[in-house]
Amino acid sequence: MHALVQGVILGVLTGGVYALMASGQTLIFGIMKVVNLAQGAMVVMSAYLSYQLFVSFGVDPFLAIPVTTVVMFGVGVGVQLVFLRPLRRDDKSELSLLVTFAVALLIEGLLSITFKTTYRSINTSYANSSWTVGGYQITVVRVYAFALSLVSLGLLFLLLNRTRFGRAVRATVQNPDSARLLGVESEKVAALGFGLGAATAAAAGSVYGLLYPFYSGSHYDLISRLLSIVVLGGLGSVGGAVVAAVIVSTSSAVVASTVSPAWSEMTFFVILLLVLLVRPQGLFGKVGRGAL
Amino acid sequence: MTGCNRLRFQAPALAVAAVMCLAVSACSSSPGKATGATNSKKPLVIGASVSLTGDFADPGKAVKAGYELWAAGVNAKGGILGRKVRLKIVDDTSSPTQVVSNYQNLINQDKVDLVFGPFSSLLTVPASQVAKRYGYAFLEPAGGGPKVFAQKLDNLFFVQPAPVVKSGDVFAAWVLSLPAADRPKTAAYAELDDPFSGPIAESIRNRFEAAGIRTVYKQVYPAETQDFSPIMAKVASAKPDVLVSGTQSEDAYAQVKSLVQLKFSPKFMFMSNGANSPLEFPSKVGAANTTGITSAGDWFPGSTAKGSAEFTAAFVKAHGGSAQTIDNSSAEAYACGQLLEEIAAKTGKLDNATAISALHHGTWPTLLGDLKWDSIGQPQGEFHLVQWQHNSLAPVYPASIAKAAPLYPKPNWGG
Repeated sequence: MHALVQGVILGVLTGGVYALMASGQTLIFGIMKVVNLAQGAMVVMSAYLSYQLFVSFGVDPFLAIPVTTVVMFGVGVGVQLVFLRPLRRDDKSELSLLVTFAVALLIEGLLSITFKTTYRSINTSYANSSWTVGGYQITVVRVYAFALSLVSLGLLFLLLNRTRFGRAVRATVQNPDSARLLGVESEKVAALGFGLGAATAAAAGSVYGLLYPFYSGSHYDLISRLLSIVVLGGLGSVGGAVVAAVIVSTSSAVVASTVSPAWSEMTFFVILLLVLLVRPQGLFGKVGRGAL
Repeated sequence: MTGCNRLRFQAPALAVAAVMCLAVSACSSSPGKATGATNSKKPLVIGASVSLTGDFADPGKAVKAGYELWAAGVNAKGGILGRKVRLKIVDDTSSPTQVVSNYQNLINQDKVDLVFGPFSSLLTVPASQVAKRYGYAFLEPAGGGPKVFAQKLDNLFFVQPAPVVKSGDVFAAWVLSLPAADRPKTAAYAELDDPFSGPIAESIRNRFEAAGIRTVYKQVYPAETQDFSPIMAKVASAKPDVLVSGTQSEDAYAQVKSLVQLKFSPKFMFMSNGANSPLEFPSKVGAANTTGITSAGDWFPGSTAKGSAEFTAAFVKAHGGSAQTIDNSSAEAYACGQLLEEIAAKTGKLDNATAISALHHGTWPTLLGDLKWDSIGQPQGEFHLVQWQHNSLAPVYPASIAKAAPLYPKPNWGG
């Protein structure tokens, strides 16, 4: 019972971090129907950025987030302008898979050259601290990460629902042709939307670097998890991604702590398959074009 | 009709293939033939394929540094048997197919006199088969997994004190040498599911269980495990006296971090790998959390074994830093070279057949300690037990090499 509760605590807190990464992924898909295979690599890249800021200047990874967010936003806009915008063909969605995978490999290669392939981790003074509550250990970093995820997702929600830009994004998601007819510059929205998706990787990267040792190839594990979360939640649904992230990490942690870590990944894929059998569009996905 | 045509086309092809086979076997029948004292003016060319790019790039470069330091040192002394040593080192990109091409090229095209091994068991297995085919001695510093020895090659010599899966036995030996009252009563095992790490912990478990140390928890975890909190939470709730972790690298860091967060510190702790990295480990888990953790090692700074002082001085001169920052892979590579010098000194010649027959007999002093091998290249010695004390790794067991007394019980985490 103790292990079960500890597993749930761990899973829910970790879920927040994955929710943050996956929200960017699903946003990009919602706006452009682009499955961004480089999202994991962007998370790892921003983990390296906050690592470097911490090692060179002693900047706390949480305080580095505004800086890394701006950088990653720029990277996202750049990737969209340089690599994705030229794709104008009918099979743009399929081609974008290849293009974003190439971007992921490019980022991985650059990181390997710059930082070598040894594992890094961001060791702040509080990296290993935990609070004891009722006999359970609650890791300080995970609580901060969870809170950060809530704040970031809240800001993302406000941006999408309370601003003109957000309205334009949502209009593009729902009906790109009508949005264009009503004066939404869909190309600009696509670039900024991709930037926004990449920017969510910045906060996630800082937290990822605090929680786990990482190296340039860590993005393969990440992207498979992120894609599964996004599919489970329903492609294009930010709320769905959050719910799915919590389901994924809680089920993994509970199975790892009560049954065996060998089954923890498997459990999640069983859930994914069951959901897809009953609801092929995912938990919160729409059959037609999505709505955020 | 078509069948006939095909046969007609195949016949010349078969003939060519047969001729090529004959040519190849002719070459292979005279391995390293021109390496005796007759060619005293010609340099002694030693070929090696190491990983300069790809997954093993970092340890691969450490191996390269070891080979190069040895070659520079031996040349400064006038070479071996009056012949200067020239290294031909090529990159295998950490690929098991590239490593095969590399050794084939080194042996057949470059006609190197001798070869040294690559990094990792993954690359050593295919590479050693090429060397065997051409009758080359295969001194290799970094392929000590079970698959390497399962080949039962008589030309292969793993230049470390013992096969990798036996590297933890020194920890069991130390624990069981303690007075009965001080020995742990219960043990937990967390083992990575791979050919090296798991078997190291299992070997310790067998010895512990035979000695009456009860197993209270054992978990084998897959390589993709990222979050160790659930596993370590179960370890913590089982409250073992000793935790034996069959780890590789990042899993060791993650296990320690999780244990610190869970505020559980066992009285004894052994990690097969990861914890023996002098630079990486403290930077990953925090220096304050390293004290008392044990691991296995062969070379260590300040070792008085043969050539260790020269190696250390040469390394620091060439690469900067301090003795503490030297990767063991460099020392192991350097030892391969030392062995060649000793073979030459002992037998008065240096060719592949001599090296193979010489190394199968007797004991060979190197900077890793005295090495000896069985008929399939498994080293017959023991690793040293190293322990983190005062922010550095100290050899603590066996007493003959110890620089400090083993510290137990392990102090609590520094936080």
